[in-house]
Amino acid sequence: MDTQDPLTHDPTTRLTPAEKKLVAELNATSNRETVLAELKANLQTAIEIELATISIYLYTYYSINRTATSGENIDRRQAYANKAGAMIMSVAVEEMLHLSLSSNVLHAMGVPPKLYGQAPKQYPTGLPYHNPQGPKGPNGETAVSIPLGKLSFEQLWHFLQIEYPEKWDGLPEDRNWQTIGQFYSYIRCLIRTKFVTDDDFRKGAQANAIQPYNYSPDNTDTVYPTGKFDPWKPAPGGSTPEWTNADQYPSAAEAAVFTNQPDSHAGPSQLMTVQSRVDAAWAIDTICDQGEGYPVPNFGPSSTDDPSKSEKSHYVKFLMLQAQYADYAKTTESLPTDPPPPPPQLPTVTAEGLAAAGLVYNLADNPTAAGYPKEYLAIANFCSACFQYMLIMIETIYRVPPAEQKLFFNEGLHRSMIWLLDKYCQQIVGLPVGDLTSKTPVLMGPVFENVDLGPQKTSFARLTAFGAEAIVAANAVTNEINKTPVNKQTAMQQNITGIMGMVISFVQSFTPQPNSAGVTTTYLPDVARYW
Amino acid sequence: MPDDSTPPVTYNGVPVPKPYPYADSPAFPTTIGTITQGMPLHACMGLNSCAGSDRFGTSPTPEGAPSPNACAGQGYCSTTTDHSCHVQNSCRNQGGCGLYGTGEEMNQPGYNDCKSLGSCATPINAERFSANGPNRGKSVWARARKVFEEQVWPDLRQKLLEKQAKGEIPADQPLPETLGRAPAPFAFTGPTYLWMTDGNTERSNAHACGNSGMSGAGGCV
Repeated sequence: MDTQDPLTHDPTTRLTPAEKKLVAELNATSNRETVLAELKANLQTAIEIELATISIYLYTYYSINRTATSGENIDRRQAYANKAGAMIMSVAVEEMLHLSLSSNVLHAMGVPPKLYGQAPKQYPTGLPYHNPQGPKGPNGETAVSIPLGKLSFEQLWHFLQIEYPEKWDGLPEDRNWQTIGQFYSYIRCLIRTKFVTDDDFRKGAQANAIQPYNYSPDNTDTVYPTGKFDPWKPAPGGSTPEWTNADQYPSAAEAAVFTNQPDSHAGPSQLMTVQSRVDAAWAIDTICDQGEGYPVPNFGPSSTDDPSKSEKSHYVKFLMLQAQYADYAKTTESLPTDPPPPPPQLPTVTAEGLAAAGLVYNLADNPTAAGYPKEYLAIANFCSACFQYMLIMIETIYRVPPAEQKLFFNEGLHRSMIWLLDKYCQQIVGLPVGDLTSKTPVLMGPVFENVDLGPQKTSFARLTAFGAEAIVAANAVTNEINKTPVNKQTAMQQNITGIMGMVISFVQSFTPQPNSAGVTTTYLPDVARYW
Repeated sequence: MPDDSTPPVTYNGVPVPKPYPYADSPAFPTTIGTITQGMPLHACMGLNSCAGSDRFGTSPTPEGAPSPNACAGQGYCSTTTDHSCHVQNSCRNQGGCGLYGTGEEMNQPGYNDCKSLGSCATPINAERFSANGPNRGKSVWARARKVFEEQVWPDLRQKLLEKQAKGEIPADQPLPETLGRAPAPFAFTGPTYLWMTDGNTERSNAHACGNSGMSGAGGCV
């Protein structure tokens, strides 16, 4: 099961002694029916683990102001905030890849992946079957319960709890696992038993799987600048005009750091379809390597996950961010020896400094829509409804005729992620939901709850209805504020009415509302015809 | 090392370069002029098929001079509807590139199949770089021009010649085999943010998306 070209992608992970032992044990004591049932159940669990991480990472991402300043005005705190945003987004993008890979393996076995309604029920949350007690954190606590929280030293510890690297010869575990690598290790063993054949991965049509052409490792959101740059300077490609040499700063292109790399995968491509045991093993290797680092036989996890050694694992990305906080030098959190923890990184940042500069928003901890002020309930619910509709669209991809998949992906998933949910989240984080007299009021964070969109077939109509309710709420908030003459409104009130206007605009642009006429070309696709 | 204690200045794109280097160029046309009939729309400067098929169209410049675009490849900027992001293009060869999308898409800016299959904002500002693929870290516009020269125009020209033979395009419409150069100040860069935004005062003229602040156009519109 070794790959032929280790220079362009990771080699397939060989079974460790512990894995060989488990495979032998399963071969001796289990049977085909049990192993296949376990494998399918664990793949569905894998999807739910990946799904849980995405909302956790995105919540923290939206607490960061990456561009309070830009270009030549970036200072070291802004540089850190932009880098943190890029790093977190780069991991979130790969978690979406992992969710797609797990889904493709399950689809190949003839089982439709379930995502709709499968997000964590509440926060803080444990990940499915994660051992609730883990290594000691910075506060001495050992509970593995992951909150929704703004960017902080503590929140980065929770990220480390998710991505804690597996020991090279760790025990495969599908229950009470300490590392996600152990969980996938168990799946790897199930695949390698004598009971599973290549034909078991040919039950779902390959052409209906999520295709490789839908994935890209980097985008403008996973990039960050090394520091100050000249925003007016053209990107390299031809001779640059003389006037651009007037200052010392590089162009944006020259200052760009790309956080993901195209070779950070096993198998033929990052996102891949599955038709055999080897394909399934490659998909799982990609997931494990990107999260925890490529495993070096007889040693432990590498700090990187790619042959070019230029993409850090999720664990190392988060640890490097944490190491730049002043708290890191004195932390008592328990870090594994491999890969070695980095020394404190410079320049140091503090939570207070980032907050004072307006670079980390004071988002609510573990919010629920029901816990927000009632006038914002429908606005929060529309956020969850968009999230759930995205999950329905992912389930739908497996039903879309292959020739239509690219268009469906672009107009469905890309449009909902980048235009709608991303921009909607960036707007609502400006809404105060706590004590308005506070100098730093608590702000609304996005919610990713399992709101009920009904059966998939009619879910677009329910999404539209959630949108209509959000419009009613936004108009009500605006009307209440406008009882005060505009010239007597506070800056906060004017900011809120601006956000309400954007909420209405987003809802009308992406769902068919009575006042949406003329913008129908941007609606999300109705999945009804595929169910 | 101590943390910063002074809140940052909240301006993007400041300072603006001085003196303004495009004083001799026509001002960026904020609206798209009347285009020569039958000629395809396109994503950016230097990607036009003939005289009168650039952003000025057949109209005079804002300064009252005749349309400055004399030939294929010499046009000033896009004629497709301005848009800010991946998937927003209206039709074939009207997507920009560089911000979102696959490496393959980012290697083919201005060369897409159809509506919603294009990659990113138009016009393609000179500062924009590809985030993926073989062109990663390099100019999107320079790549678009190269793709236009080597792939799009030979194919497009052939189709236009066929249309011309059927009388669907005027017989005297020049369709040269060799493209003209893009307008001189931008010949090697494409349209700069500085030109399109008139020194940072008309930021909404430049459309490019993203959260990193590195697209050169200050984020979504």
